[in-house]
Order: sequence, then C-alpha cells, then structure tokens
Amino acid sequence: MTEENLFDEMKVALIEFRVDPLVEMIQAAIQKGIPAEKVIEVLSEGMNVVGAKYQAGEYFVTMLIIAGEVMKEAMAVLKPHLEGRSGGDLGKVVLATVAGDIHDIGKNILSTLLTTAGFEVIDLGIDVTAEDIVEAVKAHRPLVLGMSALLTTNLEQFPKVVTLLEEEGVRDGVKVIVGGATVTEDFARAAGVDAYAKTAVDGVNICKEWAAATLN
Amino acid sequence: MCMYEDLMAVYRGEEGRPLVFQPRLKHWFDVNYAAGTLPEKYRGATLEEVFRDLGVTPREVWGMGRIGSEHGGYFSLKVVDGGDVEVWTRRIRGKTGGQDDQIVTEIRTPKGDLRQVQRVTERGTSLINSEYFLKGLDDLKVFEYVLQERSYEWDENRYEWGRRRYGKVLPLRANTERIPIMWLIVGIMGFQRTVTMIWRHPEEMRGFMRVLEEEHLKMIEAYRGRPVAEINFVDNMHQDLCPPPYFMEYAIPFLKRVTPKIHAQGTVVTSHWDGFMKQLIPLVGETGMDGLECVTPLPQGDFTVAELREGLGDMFIRDGIPAVLMCPWTDVKDLKALVQELMEVFYPRLILGFSDMLPANGDIERVRLVKEMVDEFNSRL
Repeated sequence: MTEENLFDEMKVALIEFRVDPLVEMIQAAIQKGIPAEKVIEVLSEGMNVVGAKYQAGEYFVTMLIIAGEVMKEAMAVLKPHLEGRSGGDLGKVVLATVAGDIHDIGKNILSTLLTTAGFEVIDLGIDVTAEDIVEAVKAHRPLVLGMSALLTTNLEQFPKVVTLLEEEGVRDGVKVIVGGATVTEDFARAAGVDAYAKTAVDGVNICKEWAAATLN
Repeated sequence: MCMYEDLMAVYRGEEGRPLVFQPRLKHWFDVNYAAGTLPEKYRGATLEEVFRDLGVTPREVWGMGRIGSEHGGYFSLKVVDGGDVEVWTRRIRGKTGGQDDQIVTEIRTPKGDLRQVQRVTERGTSLINSEYFLKGLDDLKVFEYVLQERSYEWDENRYEWGRRRYGKVLPLRANTERIPIMWLIVGIMGFQRTVTMIWRHPEEMRGFMRVLEEEHLKMIEAYRGRPVAEINFVDNMHQDLCPPPYFMEYAIPFLKRVTPKIHAQGTVVTSHWDGFMKQLIPLVGETGMDGLECVTPLPQGDFTVAELREGLGDMFIRDGIPAVLMCPWTDVKDLKALVQELMEVFYPRLILGFSDMLPANGDIERVRLVKEMVDEFNSRL
C-alpha cells in the first residue's frame, strides 16, 4: 500500500469511527518510519471532513463526540513518537464556562475539536469568575478566549470579562469568542466580543481563521 | 370563565374557548425572592398573588416535588425502593452559603453501590449533575437491580392537597421519567458518556434501555384509574443530545410501544422539548404523542413558528415564547410579533407560556404585556 493510500484509508477509518483498524494503520505507519506529526496532519484532515459533514447536516453532535474519542485513542498511540512536541501549533485558546454557569457540554466539544484541529487548549472549567478568566489570559497570553453560558442570568459575565480585559490592558492581545444556547448575535455584539458561534464547529472555524491571519 | 374546561378544550382541539396564558413564573419568583430583587410591588407577596395580579393562569400547584419543580407539573407517584436497597443523601455546604452546595446520593445494594453528585445552582432553585450514577457497564447491573426492586404508589395525600386548592381550575398533569435515551443522557449517565457507551457497547445499552422501558410501564400502571389528564415525559429533548438517528432508533420505537398504553387509560401524552429541534420536527408525528411542552422557536431555538406548525400536524403545544424575548435587552416588538404569530397559527391547539420559564432577569411587565395581547385575541373569538 502506498503512503497516499494508507493516509486515505486512515482518514476514512476516522470519518467512519472505525477505531481498531485506524489504530492498526497508525501502528503500521509508525513502523514504516512515517513521522507521528505527519499522521496527526492526516488525521486533522479527517477531522476537517467530520466538521464539514456536521455543518452540512450529515453528521450530528454525537458524531463529533465519537470522532473525539477516536482521536483520543489515535493520539494515545502517537504520543510516544512525538519527540517532545505536544501539538498546539495554531496557538493557545483559553476556554471557560462563566461564573454561575455549569452547563459545559458545548464547551467540552469545542475543546476536543480545537485540540484535534491543532490548538493548545487551556480549559478553565465551569463557573469561572471574570477575575480568574482575565488572570488566565494574562498568564497564558492566548490567541483566543472562548466563553460559554447557557443561563440568561449569566450572560452579563461576557461584557464584564471584556471590560476587565480592557482595564488590565490585555484586550487587544486576545480574540474573544462566545457561545451558548441563549446567546444571540446581537447580544454578543453589544457585549464587545469579537465573534459569536452558534455551534462548536463554527467556533473552530472562526478560531482557525484568526490563527491563519496571525500566522500569515 | 372556567380555566379547567379551557385547558381540556386544548387537549380535545375544541374551538371557541378562550386561549389560556399559563406562564411559568416560579423560577423568576424564587431567584428574585432569594436575592431580594423582587419588584417593590411584589415584595411580601406570594407567588400565587403574583399570578393573580398579572391575571394569568397558574400552572399546577400541587406541592414542592423535586427541587426546582413547580407549577408546570409534578411527579405524582411515590417511589418505594426495595428492602435491601439503601439510599443515602447528604448535603455538602459550599463556600457561598447555599448557592454552590452539593447533594451527594449513594445507593447501596447487594449488587454494588452507585453514587451521584448534584450541584445546587441559581440560589438554590435548581440542580445539575456533576457526577452521574452510571459510569460504566458494571453500574448498569446495579441500577437494573435497583429498578427491579422498585415499585410506585399513587401519592393520594399530595393529590388531595392539590385537588382542594386547584381541582376546579386545573386538570392534573403528571410528570413521568424521561424516555429511556433521555433518562440516560440527562438523568443517570450524562451526555458524553452515554454517546460513548452506545458507540462501544450498543447491545448492552439497548438491553438497558429496555430495562428502563419496563420501569415506565410500572409507572404508567401506577397511574391507571387515577384522575390524570396528561402524562408528560420530562425529556428536555434537544436534537444535539438526541439527533435523528438516535431519535429513530431509540425514541420513536419506545413511544410507539408506550403511548398507546397511556392513551388506553384515557390520558393525553406530551413531552418537554426545550432545545434545538428543527431536525426532529419532521419525525415527531411518528411518536403518537398528542402535544409538546416548551418548544423554543427562533431566536432562541432553530426553527420558525410556521415550521413548527407544519411539522406538528394536529399536535398541540404548551408554551412557545422563547424566554430570551422576556429579557430587557431584546426588542419588545420581536416579542409582540412572535406572540401574535403563535396565537394565530396554533390556536386552538395552544396553551401559551414561556419556553421554558421566565428567566430570573426577565421583565415581569412583559408578562403583563403578553396577557393584554391574549385578552385582545380572546375578545375577538
């Protein structure tokens, strides 16, 4: 089998969530001397297809979760061969579900997708205060800050964080994206953030655009 | 005016009765009461006095039920666990004096133990799981044992208490557990773990869902012969949690088997859908249910009122006004337009309310505004 064929079959296995054949192919690739980084690149292309299928309505959130599980198993095989590199070439993203809110399904899916897309994700978890979020931004200097909230009572945390970022002088250095079922585009705009994502896949695509603009 | 008959008319699809506006206000009331932020005119008032002041129909008020439960229905059955099943619950105080307390529940059985951790949110008015009972295959066996030993009894005392207060006003709507797939996702296993488990262990999970179905049959049997007008699955259905493939494989077959049994008892069947549902709307007709509760159109959900009407056929809806339109930063014109459309499109198959409740930071005066629109609509009937 040529390398190209192997790579194509890996992508198909990922897209169809056939984890055992995928792991076998990854092991075969490593044995052939193909760098782990190259395999990750191939798998990232596969994840892009998964994302595209989701956006086209062909795949669903449940499939994004399964794809994430498949990627985790693939990465477990690849990790010993990464020679000290940990990925995250596209940049850092700090994620948090804001103070008062502990609904984190969307954030967790976004975290998985961002990681597999090549971002380094620093996930602060749930119920994170504005002060802690800003401290994390100051400490990690990420490309992107992503915040989520489900309850309308917690949406006010978005402008609060933005104001605090400004007061601390770090607003210009970070792109801010928000999401959550009760967030509307109008609210996001008024809150002073840079982008609003209706879905996790939308969020990844926006982050990728920002990363591309930065890297270029 | 007789609200009881007006509500029953919705179940029956009868025209000519006044449209009922029955908003869920308890969450708004409870949070603002706890925070000391109720509007001046409602300080010292009871929730029922707020309902009366606004001139809107209360939801069923039968007692406290579970934490966060309210007028929108309650679990009318007492759960009786097996003699060798111990259920221990303790509350761990959080750092903010009640707002972030944790409630730990441990179930101890001869087959093994289960543990769940819930966190109290929104000033003690709501709960959310941070740890679920079911974490792996072994836990399924333990939970199956718990359910096998469990029985249900009609809660006569509670019913009598409610009947005396609201029996002439409101038909009794009884909640029941979520359908098996949603019971797993929302109630006992969690979303991501359920998805992963179905992917890794499809046969075991399918078998376990049949165990949950048996439990539903026990609950339905316990309702037999009782004065229940409607049984509501408290599903929290959302297409991202239960996408069409899951819905077709797990939800529709279950509902096709169970709904006729409820109908045979003379009871209407509904389910609580409170998320994105555009992809599920075309499938809902296959379930055999009579109506949906909550249903959240754009801008909060992902579908229009017209799409909902077309997809639901003859089913009725309860609620329909996206909660976000009650928030002060949204345009009142959008609220009015949506309410008008809901009334025109869905009456007489509509019990108007919020999807799914007035937010704690919602504007109570917008409730009054909606009431005025309902009065205007009813004056033209």
